[in-house]
Amino acid sequence: MLISYNWLRELVRFELSPRELAKRLTMIGLAVDTVREAGDDYILEFDLTSNRPDCLSHLGVAREVAALVGARVHLPEAKIPSLRGRAGELISVEIEEPDLCPRYTARIVRNVRIAPSPEWLADRLQKIGQRPINNVTDITNYVLHEQGQPLHAFDLDRLRGRKIIVRCARRGERILTLDGVERELAAQMLVIADAERPVAIAGVMGGEEASIHETTRNVLIESAYFDPLTVRRTARALDLHTESSHRFERGADPEAALRAQERAIALICEIAGGEATEDALDLYPRPIVRPVVALRPSRVEALTGVAVPEEDIIRILTALGFHLKDGERIEVAAAEQPLRFITPSWRVDIEREEDLVEEVARHRGYEKIPEELPASKNVGEYLYGEERRRTARRALAALGFDEAISFSFINSAYEHGFAPLPTLGGDEVEFVKVSNPIIEGVTLMRASLVPGLLEAVRHNFNHGTRDVRLFELGRVFARDPHGERPRERESLGLVATGGALEEGRALAQRALDFYDVKGALEAASEAMAAPRLEFEEARVAHLREGQAALVRLNGRAIGYIGRLAESVAAQFKFKQPVYVAEIDLTSLLEAEARKVRYAPLPRYPAIVRDLSIIIERRISWAAIRRAVLALGLAYLRSVEFADVYEGQGVPEGHRSLTLRLEYRADDRTLRDDEVDRMHEVIVRKLKDEFGAQLRQ
Amino acid sequence: MTEVDHIAELEAVRSAFARAFERFARFEGGAGALPLDEAESALRELSELRARHTGRKSALAALKKQIGRVPVEERAAFGQSVQRLEAEIETRLERVERALKEAVERQRIERERLDVTLPGRRPRRGHLHPITLLRQRMEDIFVAMGYAVEDGPEIETDFYNFDALNIPPSHPARSSQDTFYTSDGLALRTQTSPVQIHAMQRRRPPLRVVAPGKVFRRDTPDATHNPMFFQIEGLLVDRGITMAHLKGTIAEFVRRMFGPQTRTRFRPSYFPFTEPSAEVDYSCFICNGTGCRVCKGVGWIELGGSGMVHPNVLRAVGIDPEEFSGFAFGLGIDRMCALMYGLDDIRLLYENDVRFLTQFD
Repeated sequence: MLISYNWLRELVRFELSPRELAKRLTMIGLAVDTVREAGDDYILEFDLTSNRPDCLSHLGVAREVAALVGARVHLPEAKIPSLRGRAGELISVEIEEPDLCPRYTARIVRNVRIAPSPEWLADRLQKIGQRPINNVTDITNYVLHEQGQPLHAFDLDRLRGRKIIVRCARRGERILTLDGVERELAAQMLVIADAERPVAIAGVMGGEEASIHETTRNVLIESAYFDPLTVRRTARALDLHTESSHRFERGADPEAALRAQERAIALICEIAGGEATEDALDLYPRPIVRPVVALRPSRVEALTGVAVPEEDIIRILTALGFHLKDGERIEVAAAEQPLRFITPSWRVDIEREEDLVEEVARHRGYEKIPEELPASKNVGEYLYGEERRRTARRALAALGFDEAISFSFINSAYEHGFAPLPTLGGDEVEFVKVSNPIIEGVTLMRASLVPGLLEAVRHNFNHGTRDVRLFELGRVFARDPHGERPRERESLGLVATGGALEEGRALAQRALDFYDVKGALEAASEAMAAPRLEFEEARVAHLREGQAALVRLNGRAIGYIGRLAESVAAQFKFKQPVYVAEIDLTSLLEAEARKVRYAPLPRYPAIVRDLSIIIERRISWAAIRRAVLALGLAYLRSVEFADVYEGQGVPEGHRSLTLRLEYRADDRTLRDDEVDRMHEVIVRKLKDEFGAQLRQ
Repeated sequence: MTEVDHIAELEAVRSAFARAFERFARFEGGAGALPLDEAESALRELSELRARHTGRKSALAALKKQIGRVPVEERAAFGQSVQRLEAEIETRLERVERALKEAVERQRIERERLDVTLPGRRPRRGHLHPITLLRQRMEDIFVAMGYAVEDGPEIETDFYNFDALNIPPSHPARSSQDTFYTSDGLALRTQTSPVQIHAMQRRRPPLRVVAPGKVFRRDTPDATHNPMFFQIEGLLVDRGITMAHLKGTIAEFVRRMFGPQTRTRFRPSYFPFTEPSAEVDYSCFICNGTGCRVCKGVGWIELGGSGMVHPNVLRAVGIDPEEFSGFAFGLGIDRMCALMYGLDDIRLLYENDVRFLTQFD
């Protein structure tokens, strides 16, 4: 909202420069964004909070200034030179919806001459960003900006049946509004109608047909109070936001209707000539009553920390238009007597004691409130699992993964083809859908972090970065058919593609693969001291068969890892292999932390033997290891993976695998022949169970 | 054997050595720029020469054996001559050997000289997201000030997101123009304030909590808007809490966050869930309040909204506003991030461009 410094000074006397004024008003809650010089004037641009529609005019700002500097507001006198006839003889007004239109007033000026506005008027409006149209229309606009009361001028002779009816629109009714757009009205919209059709959308915009034209001779000035909610709904539904709707939907001053109308009539008579009716038709079927609010002076100190003397409280509130209701102090033994204040009609934001405390505090000045630290009765604590989250982040960053944050909503194109996080409910997962997306097609709350991470990879590819490692911690969602709210799980996602870059070296020594992502996942879970993750080959919707695994924690499926399937890669136009993983972080955070217990150091040496076997490719390392351990050999201390080789010298469909076996007794040094016997048992087992051959 | 014979034999040994040593003599003053392989073979040859001329079967060794056989009166003089010769040979051998070894050593060093300015070897390091960095810092500050970090769902019911926060049913913020709704009629939380309600239901006063998290508003993405961003909410409820405590707390936070010289300014404002309400500004961390490009010349930067918890909010969770009072505040992390790092387009925050992410530590 724009306010003219000079105009304001006509309403209240003060000795503040435009910049000082802006600063002082900002500090009492009327935020001034900019002060701009405009010829011999200054224009202040306000960014007002929605609870203060009373300040949406020069009068409104003047009231605050008056309270600030201890002055009075002077409204210009409305002198109407020639009066003739009574409004009721010329028009009849009927309110069909008194709840939506608690007050409607109409007054008429006859024999006006429509012409361009005089220079001073046009200039004033232009300075505050309004376009002059003609004298009568401009006067209504002028009074709106002076007093905050929206007015509307009708051509009396274009109102059919000499009738005004405030009613709801009828199904299918249309109106050509002043902005030149023909609009269809809905049944719950309030309109001003004549005997036949709507002539204005109440509180929003007038219709072209019954508006002021060059030929207009007789005008009717409407000044009303419309229900805020009705106006807001209508303005929203029509996407039509005007100076008028802006004020009505926040709450106008019902008691200002006649005063503003009289001011407009006086200006019309002065500028456009004509004779006004002696009176206005004033229908006020539902009087708006502002509350009487009690204030205990002690509450000012209790809430602000500053004691304000009673007389200062009364002075501040009276200056703001509140009236102390005398003689109504309730006598209660030992309890504090509250002051009771009658709220001015324009203060729609005042309802309770705390509101008055704020009025007192802001006019005393928030800067007078001291800074104190409250005595602490609490201890600080992080969110459950926060330490684990932080160590996981650090572990992943140490491995070269950058942290990503993606939008929680994803494109509906990803509804199929991606396995949701298994802890959300397996294949039965139903997406949470956003019914009013802001980005077209982005209608799903993600059930997996993978689509977002793949979009990030694509973004990086498109910008020339081909070596990408990203991780993300964030929530994923799924509908819960039984709960009030959807399921929300915290998830950890990883993506890796391109080369295993080293810091400061441009050329990667090797390409990233499945085991880099697996290693990162293991490092993260280890950093969280979580139990060991288990991996099991599986078929997963978005992953390539044969390079995909289910990830388990304590036997429960918590995620997936693998290479992106060709079909998905093609959808993203990826030409290089991309590896992804996702696990349910909540499960890791909730898992019991691995406990460290010291194991005594061995007193006798171990004997370490490597065993190389040729074995079918389909036999997994995990199966081999499990088989060896299942033998239950007392002195076999560990079975470790040493190496794998495929190619020359190894038959098709086979691979050469080297195991490192460690044998050790706690009470003596093992003899070679003892170890030989155990080793022989292992070789036989692998031969019998898997057809493994010793490699020579 | 005569004396002359001894002498002649001694001289023969000397000259035999001198002849054999002749090609090494030039190294006595240093082996200089002799190529490494030549220096190494010269060393080998030198060691052979030493064995030949000073070893057990050498002429010199034979000469030393003769000393005892020389007549007593000549023995001392002869012995001394032999010793001198041996010393002379040893000295020359050693001198050359040292020179050659030095040359070899030097060249090996040259050959293995490293470029110490090449980058150290380490895997490429990853980086935490700037939002995470700021969020962790804020959490650390508030935890140190006795706050518990809290958390709530990102998809909320109207009760938590609006009703309990004293936002009337007709409030524009509830409209589908501003708030995302799921097809089941739930709201993507538009603020972290609903966590206030969860926190007050979980803990009873005295309580102090902060809740950082994601929030959603229906803004079309542009240089200054994203439909998703991060806030941190703070709430303290106890007996006798006033705006002075709010001011003191925010001022302390801001000093810890931006430096001890930072000042705060509280302006009256409006939020449905606080009364009185205040907008908080802090003095610009670039110009310290004198006005610069970052603070658009005003010296102050908006931090966020705050105020005394509205009695209706306290009542919604069964806390008596006559007995307890509290303050709450909500700060935007993205905006602070944009200002601190000088981002000109906050869409960068969620595009996950590696060239962007790697700039933060």
